[in-house]
Amino acid sequence: MSSVELLPALLVAVPILMATVPIVLGLRFDRTGWSVTAITTAGVFAATAYLAADVYATGPVVHVLGGWDEPQGIGIELVADEFSALIALLVAATTAGLLAYTRAGGPRGNTFYAGYLLLTGGLLGLTMTGDVFNMFVFLEIVGLGTYAMISSGDGPESAVAALKYLILGTVGASLYLIGVGFLFMATGALNMVVLGDLVPELMAAEGEPTLLRAAFAFMFVGFALKVAQWPLHTWQPDAYQHAPDGVTPLIAALVSTVSAYALGRVMFTVFGPEFLTATPYLTEIVVTVGAVSVVAGSTLAVVQLDVKRMLAYSSVSQFGLVVAAYGLVTETALLGAIVHLIGHGMMKAGLFVAVGIVALGYGARTVDQYAGLADERPVTAAGMAVLLIALVGIPPSIGFIGKWYIAVGAVQAESWLVAGVIFLSTMLTLAYAARLLEKMYFTPASTLESPHAPEAVATDGGDVDADEAPAVAGDGGLLRESARRGSPGAVSFGMLAVLVTVTVTAVVLGFAGGAFGDLLEPFVSEVFN
Amino acid sequence: MAEESVLPLAAVLVSAVAVFLIVASYRYPNVREGWSVLAALVKFGIVASMLPGVMDGTVYEWSLADSLGVEFLAGIDFVLRADPLGMLFAMLASFLWIFTSFYAAGYMRGLDEHAQTRFFASFAASLSTALGIAFAGNLVTIFIFYELLSLVTYPLVAHNEDDEARIAGRKYLAYTFFGGGVFLLAGTVLVYWLTSGVDPAGEGTLAFETGGIELLAEAAAAEPVFAQAAFFLLIAGFGVKAAVMPLHSWLADAMVAPTPVSGLLHAVAVVKSGAFGVARVILEVFGPGLIHDLPLSVPGVGEVGLNVPVAILAAFTLTAASIIALRKDHLKRRLAFSTTAQLSYIVLGLSLLHPYAVLGALFHIPAHAFGKLTLFFCAGAVHVETHTDYVSEMAGIGKRMPLTMSAFAIGAAGMAGMPLIAGFVSKFYMLIGSGTVGGGYWLFAAALIVSGVLNVAYLWPVVYTAFFESEQRHDAKPLLEFPPGGKRESYDAVATDGGERVDDDDDERAPGGQPRPVDDAEGDTEAKGAGTPLEDDEDDDYEYAVDQYPSDADVPGGRGDHEDHADDHHDHGDHHGGPPAGGWERRSPFAESTWLMIAPIAVIATGAVTLGVVPDYAVFLELAIYIVEGVFDVDSFDELGGLSLAEAVEVIDE
Repeated sequence: MSSVELLPALLVAVPILMATVPIVLGLRFDRTGWSVTAITTAGVFAATAYLAADVYATGPVVHVLGGWDEPQGIGIELVADEFSALIALLVAATTAGLLAYTRAGGPRGNTFYAGYLLLTGGLLGLTMTGDVFNMFVFLEIVGLGTYAMISSGDGPESAVAALKYLILGTVGASLYLIGVGFLFMATGALNMVVLGDLVPELMAAEGEPTLLRAAFAFMFVGFALKVAQWPLHTWQPDAYQHAPDGVTPLIAALVSTVSAYALGRVMFTVFGPEFLTATPYLTEIVVTVGAVSVVAGSTLAVVQLDVKRMLAYSSVSQFGLVVAAYGLVTETALLGAIVHLIGHGMMKAGLFVAVGIVALGYGARTVDQYAGLADERPVTAAGMAVLLIALVGIPPSIGFIGKWYIAVGAVQAESWLVAGVIFLSTMLTLAYAARLLEKMYFTPASTLESPHAPEAVATDGGDVDADEAPAVAGDGGLLRESARRGSPGAVSFGMLAVLVTVTVTAVVLGFAGGAFGDLLEPFVSEVFN
Repeated sequence: MAEESVLPLAAVLVSAVAVFLIVASYRYPNVREGWSVLAALVKFGIVASMLPGVMDGTVYEWSLADSLGVEFLAGIDFVLRADPLGMLFAMLASFLWIFTSFYAAGYMRGLDEHAQTRFFASFAASLSTALGIAFAGNLVTIFIFYELLSLVTYPLVAHNEDDEARIAGRKYLAYTFFGGGVFLLAGTVLVYWLTSGVDPAGEGTLAFETGGIELLAEAAAAEPVFAQAAFFLLIAGFGVKAAVMPLHSWLADAMVAPTPVSGLLHAVAVVKSGAFGVARVILEVFGPGLIHDLPLSVPGVGEVGLNVPVAILAAFTLTAASIIALRKDHLKRRLAFSTTAQLSYIVLGLSLLHPYAVLGALFHIPAHAFGKLTLFFCAGAVHVETHTDYVSEMAGIGKRMPLTMSAFAIGAAGMAGMPLIAGFVSKFYMLIGSGTVGGGYWLFAAALIVSGVLNVAYLWPVVYTAFFESEQRHDAKPLLEFPPGGKRESYDAVATDGGERVDDDDDERAPGGQPRPVDDAEGDTEAKGAGTPLEDDEDDDYEYAVDQYPSDADVPGGRGDHEDHADDHHDHGDHHGGPPAGGWERRSPFAESTWLMIAPIAVIATGAVTLGVVPDYAVFLELAIYIVEGVFDVDSFDELGGLSLAEAVEVIDE
C-alpha cells in the first residue's frame, strides 16, 4: 500500500482523534483549542491537496479499511475520486480558513474546538466513504458535530435551534438508514461500486424492483431533509441564524453541501442513471422538489428581515437548483450541480463571514441596519457585494459557471419547466441580493431616524439589542450609535483576509469553467456509460 | 483574416485599470479626473490604431484559450475581436467618452455632487464593459459584458441615494437583468444546444460569423420552432436595453441619473449596446438570409419572416414614444422618450433586412449618438447654470445660454432628420430600404416619416421657446397642460386658461408631489410634468391674474411656490428652476458656462454636422458600408443597389 492510499483513512481518522486533544489539554491549559485545530486543519488541507493532485493525475485512490477485501461488497472502503476529491478540498479549505475568523471572533473554548475537529473528520468521512452503511455513520457524526456547534451559541435560541436540528436531522438519517436496509435486502451488498453494478442487474432480472424503489424513496426523503429542501427545510433557517457567527459559515458552507454531495453519490454511483430514468415519475419528483425549493426559498428569502435568515433561505433555493440538476440526469447538468455545490459552498462561507464581521464591527444584523455600511466598512461591504453578485450568477464568477452548465443540461434534457426556473432564478436571487446591495450602498445610515424606525422590527431577529430598542426609539440618532454594539477594533486582519480571499477566488474561478469540466469529465462520463 | 493581438483586450482593460486609479486618488479631484481623461484618450488611441487594419480586412482577435490556455466554459472560449461591426460601436463609444469626461467633470463640480469618486469609477467601468460588448466575439462573451454593464451602471442610476433614485435603480436592475440574465442567457443556451445538435462532434458553437452562424442555419432547418424561440429570446434580451416597447419604461426613469450619465450611457453606450446586440443577432448570429427564410406562421396572415414582428414592434415604438414625448414637460424625460423612439429606428432598419435599411440603421448608431449627446449636454448645461429642468420654464433662455441653445437646435434638427445633419443620412437610407422592399413595407416607411414630423413637434418648441419667446410673454402650451384629448370646458374657460392650473389639478397630483412613474403616461399629472410650478397662494383671484397674463405663474418673482421642486431630483431643496427675478440676463456665448461644458457641446454638435454634410469623409459611414458588404458578401456596395429584398437575401446564399 502506497503512501497516497493511506491518506483517505488518515484524513478521516486524524481530525477525529485530534478532537480529543483539546479536551485533554484543557485539563491543564485554558486556550489550546485553536492552536491544535489550526495545526490539524492545516495538515488536513495540505494532505487533501496532495491527494487531490494525485487523483486528478492518476485516477481514483481507494483505501480498503483493515485490508479486508473479502467478501466483496461488505468490506469498508474509503474512495477519493474526481468528485469526492473536489468536495474534500472544499471541506479542508473551509475548515482551515475559517479559523482565521474564529481566532478573534469566537466562539472560544476547548470543547468548541473539539466539536470543530469532530465535524471536520465527519465531513471528510462522509465525503470519501465508499459504503452506504458507513455513510450513515458519518451522517450521524456530522449531525453530532453540528448540534454541538449550533448549541455553542449563548442564547436560548441556539439551544432550541440545535434541538430542532437534532430531531429533524435524526429523522432524516433514520430514513436514510431504512433505505440502506432495503437496499441490503435487495442486493446483499453495501459497497457503492458493487451496488452500482448490482442495481442494473437486478433491474434486468426483475423489471419492477420494488425493494430498490422503496430504498431510493427513503434515502431521497432522508437527504431532502438533510439538504433542507422545501418543505423539509424548517430546521435550517433557525440553525443558521442562531448558531454563533463563527459557526454559521462552517455549517452553511459544508454541512448541507456534503449532504447534497452524498445524495448525488447515492443517486449516480449507487443507483445510476439507468435506474433513475427507468423508474416512473422518479426524475419528475426529484426535479419538482428542486424547482419548488428554488422558488419557495427565494420567495421566503426576500421577505426576511434578518440577514442571516435571508441567506439561510437563499441556501434552500440554491440547493434546490442542485437537486433539480440531479433530477435532470444529463452529463452537463451533473457537472453543473457539482460546480454549483462547490461554488455555493464557497460563496455562502464568504457571505456568512462577512455577516459575522458586520455584526462584530458594526453591530448590524437586520437588512435595515445595513444602511450606510459601504461608507463605514468599505472592504467588508465590497466583498459582500461581489459575493452576492456572484450568487446571482453574473459572470465572471463561479456562480455563473454552475448555472450555465445546469441550464445547458436542462435544455439538453428538454425539460423546459426546469430551464424556465433556472433562468428565472437569476431574478429571484437578484430580488434579495439587490435589496441588501441597495441598503449597503444607496441608503444613507441617517434614514433610520424616520418615524417608522426599523428598530422595533429589528429586535425580533437579533436577540442583540432587544433591551436597547426602547431607548433608541425614545431618542433618535445619538443613542442609535450606542445601540450599535459593534466595535470596529474587534475585526481582525485575519477575518478580512479570509473574506477577500474567498471573494477573489469566487471571481477567479469564474474563468475556470473549462477546467472544472476537464477535472470532472472522467467521473461524469463514467457515471453515464 | 484574423490576427492575434492583445489590442482589443487592452482597449477593454484601459478604463478598468482607470477604475482603480480613480478610486485610489479619491483625495485629489484633479488627479482623479485626469485619470478619466487620460484613460479616454488612451482608449480612443488604441481603438483608432486598429481602424486601418480593420478597414483592410484584418480582424484583431484575443482569446483566453489561445493566449493563456484557459477555457472559459467547456467548449466555449472567451474571445475579444475587433471586427468592423465591433469597431463601429467601439469607435463611437471611445470617441465620445473623451468629451464626456471633460463635461462630466464640469457638471459634477458645477453641482457640487456627492460621491464623485464612485461616479467617475462607475463611469470608467461602464466604458470598459461597453467596449467589451463591442469586441465580444461570441454570445457568451457578449453576455458577460452585457451583465457587467447593467451592474456597473446601476450605481450611476441610483447616484442620488434618494427614494426616487432608489426606485429607478430597482427598476433598472429588474429590467436589465431580466433582459440579460433571463432572455439573453436563455437564448444563448438554446443556440448552444441547437448548434451542438447538428455538429458532428457534438460541440456547440456561439462565435459570431458574418452573415450568420452556419451550424445554426442547419439546426434551424431541423428544429425551426426552437430556432425561432432562440431568435426572439435574444432579440428580447437586447431589446430591453434598446428600450423597444413594451420593455422601455426603465429608460425614462433612469433619467434621475446625473446628466453626463443620461448623455453618454443612456443615449450612447448602454442603449446602443442593446441596439448593437440586435445588430449582432440579426447580422452575425442568425443572418438576414435565415431570418428571412425561417417561416413564422401567423394565424390569419400566413407565413412571414421572423423579422416582421420585430419590425412591427419597432415601428410601433418609434411612433408611440414620439407621441408620449410630446407631452413631457421635463426636458430630460422628453429626450428619454426621443431616445426610445430613435433606438427603434435602428432596430427597425436592421429588421427590414434590406441592405440599404441595414446601412441606414448602422449609420444611425453614430448619427443618433452625436445628436442626442448634444441634446443631453445642453439639457445638463442648462440645469447646472440655471437649475431649469422644465420646458415650460425655458421661455427666453436663449438670451442666457445662446451657444447651448444653438447647439440644441442643431441636435434637434438631427433628430428630426433635417438635411445637413447626421440624422438625415441614416433616415434617408432607411427610407430607400423600406421603399425598395415594397409590399406591406411601405407602412414602415410611413412610420419613419410620421415620426420625423413628430420629432419636429416635440423638439422644435424647446428651441422656439428659448429664442422666440420671452419670460413675460409666451404662448400657452395646451399639449402639455391639457388632459389628453383637450379640455371639456367652454371656449371662454379655455381662453382664460393659458395659465398653469385648474382646481382639479391638485387632486390629481400624485401624493406628496412625487413625480409619478413614467408608465403612467396617460395621467395628465404626469403629462403636465410633475413639479411644473403651481401657484398655491393664488386661489382667490387667479382668474384675473391669469386673464391678464396667461402664463402668470412663470413670471419672474411670481408667487409661484416652488415647494414641489424639493422632491425633484438633483435638487437639494435650495434652488428652483425658471428665470430669476428680473428675467434672464443676457450673456455672450463664451461666458454662459464653464469651458469644461461649452467645449464638449460645441465639439459634439460640430461632429453631428460633419456627419451630416460629409458623411463620406467621416469614418462611420465607410465602416457601415464595409459591414453591409461583409454581411451580404459582395465586393462593392453598388452591387446591392436596386435589388429587392428577396434578391438581396439570395446574394448571401450564393
